[in-house]
Amino acid sequence: MDINTLEELRDKQLISQDQFNKFEPVISGKLVSLFYELRTLLYLGVLLFTSGVGILVYENIGEVGHIIAIGLLSLVTLACFWFVVTKGVPFSKDQVRPPTPYYDYIVLLGSLLFISVQGYLQFQYQILDENLGWSTLISAVIFITVAYRYDHIGVLSLGITALASFFSLSVSPQKWYSSEFLETANLHITAIYFGAALCAAAMALDWKSIKKHFTFTYINFGLLIFFVGATAGLFEGLLYGIYLLLIYGGCAFAVFYANRERSFLFLLYAFVFAYIATTYLLADWVFSEVPELIFYYSIISCGGFVYFIVSYKKFFKRKE
Amino acid sequence: MRSAYVENWIHNLGVIKDAKSFLKADWISKDQYEKIGETYASPLYHPNFLIRILLFVATLLGISGVTGLFALFVAQGDEVFISIACMAYGIASFFVVDKLFIKDKKHYKSGVNEAIIYHSCGFTIGGFAGLTDFSTTPFLLFSLVVLTFAAIRYLDLICTITSFGFLGFTLFYHFYEWGGILQQIIPFAFIICFSIAYFLSRKYRKRIELNLWNDNLLIVEALSLAVVYLAGNYLVVRELSVNLMGLALEGNEDIPFAFIFYLLTIAIPILYLWFGVKNKDLVLLRVSLIVLAFSVFTFKYYYGFNRPEITLTIAGMALLGISLSLFNYLKVMRSGYTREKLLSEKWSSMNAEAFIISQTLGGNQVKVSEHFEGQGGEFGGGGSSGSF
Repeated sequence: MDINTLEELRDKQLISQDQFNKFEPVISGKLVSLFYELRTLLYLGVLLFTSGVGILVYENIGEVGHIIAIGLLSLVTLACFWFVVTKGVPFSKDQVRPPTPYYDYIVLLGSLLFISVQGYLQFQYQILDENLGWSTLISAVIFITVAYRYDHIGVLSLGITALASFFSLSVSPQKWYSSEFLETANLHITAIYFGAALCAAAMALDWKSIKKHFTFTYINFGLLIFFVGATAGLFEGLLYGIYLLLIYGGCAFAVFYANRERSFLFLLYAFVFAYIATTYLLADWVFSEVPELIFYYSIISCGGFVYFIVSYKKFFKRKE
Repeated sequence: MRSAYVENWIHNLGVIKDAKSFLKADWISKDQYEKIGETYASPLYHPNFLIRILLFVATLLGISGVTGLFALFVAQGDEVFISIACMAYGIASFFVVDKLFIKDKKHYKSGVNEAIIYHSCGFTIGGFAGLTDFSTTPFLLFSLVVLTFAAIRYLDLICTITSFGFLGFTLFYHFYEWGGILQQIIPFAFIICFSIAYFLSRKYRKRIELNLWNDNLLIVEALSLAVVYLAGNYLVVRELSVNLMGLALEGNEDIPFAFIFYLLTIAIPILYLWFGVKNKDLVLLRVSLIVLAFSVFTFKYYYGFNRPEITLTIAGMALLGISLSLFNYLKVMRSGYTREKLLSEKWSSMNAEAFIISQTLGGNQVKVSEHFEGQGGEFGGGGSSGSF
């Protein structure tokens, strides 16, 4: 927006003179916010520092310099948490306004470094060498606790991915593409349970009004894991009717949630996975008998998809 | 040249978008926002980004069907006929997007428009290239003209970027082909040309009657700054001299005028930063930060890359230190700068930020579990953000 448009808004009395005076320095560029620039720098700083440290702690183990480095790292971690605890606002079930614009990145840095240090300590002293997977569970618990106490969605999503990998599920689209998702047999069943549990937990917490703004992240991860698991089961071919029903059930839930949040993304998930399932069903029943129908099916479904994209807004409106 | 769109509608759309960001920042009330929405109603069809991508893909699929039919018709002809047919087909699709989608259906950057526009550009340019036997100079100049036309008429940003690229490449190619002394002065010629481009686009961006092209000019402005820097960057000049001009460097030999390029590599980012801060110019400021990082990379490239983890740690510490101290410094407003968020950027979203964090920052624990179990518990988030 430029200053002329702002004057136009004032002259049409869409904004008051007071508001005009307040907006004017920002719109004309006399007052400039460096919020996003500084936070990008901060993000890059956290990214570089934690990846550097993540490598460094496993190098030159046993040397004096290494011990000093670990000591310093622990001190930095403590400093982060000291800052987080002293500046932090009391726990609340709702979204909390961070006390300073960089507070959430200190929370993030602190928890990432803490994970590094505890991972190193376990590695060095073999605390848990009987049950090795527990290390990721501990990470997940730490992340989720921190996320709830200090209201941080980024840390929450780290916690969910850590929890998923405790059950040997990898929550990374690149991995799914190279089909590493199913490295162990029957993992898709774990995925279905895990995804469903995640969604159920999210809805329960949402219903209890605990951190409602976390629900999106939970449901997003939960649904994706659920759908990928169920689709993998579908393609195994045995008892595929069950997986078909599971997918349709998941789609129904996704549509319900999309409607509530007016989110196109979940509607798209539902559409894509329902399409995959239906195509599979048709391929098994119909196309094996009458292959010519594939041609018409692909044309009609393409048209249907375009219609869906163009008219989804009406779908939301109708439900209101 | 005029835009294909009705200027007033786009202006209205812009006002509504800005009003939405005012509403998000709690500057105006919901009532006010709705009133603004009524006053500045716009009939344009302009869906959100995800839908635009889907429509783009769907349109490409649809077009490929049409193109298949077209290919059936012309495939029998000789080369000249095919080339002319391609050009005609490309120009015809320009008319389709102009009349049908923009004028009748009132699409504005809907994904459909983009798909057809790129398709038209491709066929028009391809047909022309076929007619001229694929010789380089006419091809470059014609592409430049077509893409600039598309960029201006349809306000398309990707066409703007590609035509900017064609401009740069055309310059480079001709200097390179003429050879001799002209090859030597390529960096300086680029610096001069694109400095001019920068000042021109900055000047035009302030004109009210060119408001419609604000985003296009902004991109040209930022890209020109980047090209001016890259033309003087030591790494770029050295590697291009060695690879393209066949410059053989032995032992401790350095490229001609090396000290000038060293100087430019250091001076340009600092200059950008200085003027950016002084004039509160966010374009300069953001470009300066990116090129500053590239300057650091340039020096690291030639002087030691042995211990990447130490570089990472130190760079991370430096960035954390700088950004945190600036945050503290700007606790109070200083010479017109503030650390508080005034208006939300278009792309910012809490959920998207969390998604990026889970994709990029989860790597630390992988190391641990690999050591432990050798079956890499892979981290990194999935999914995407999307509350629209």
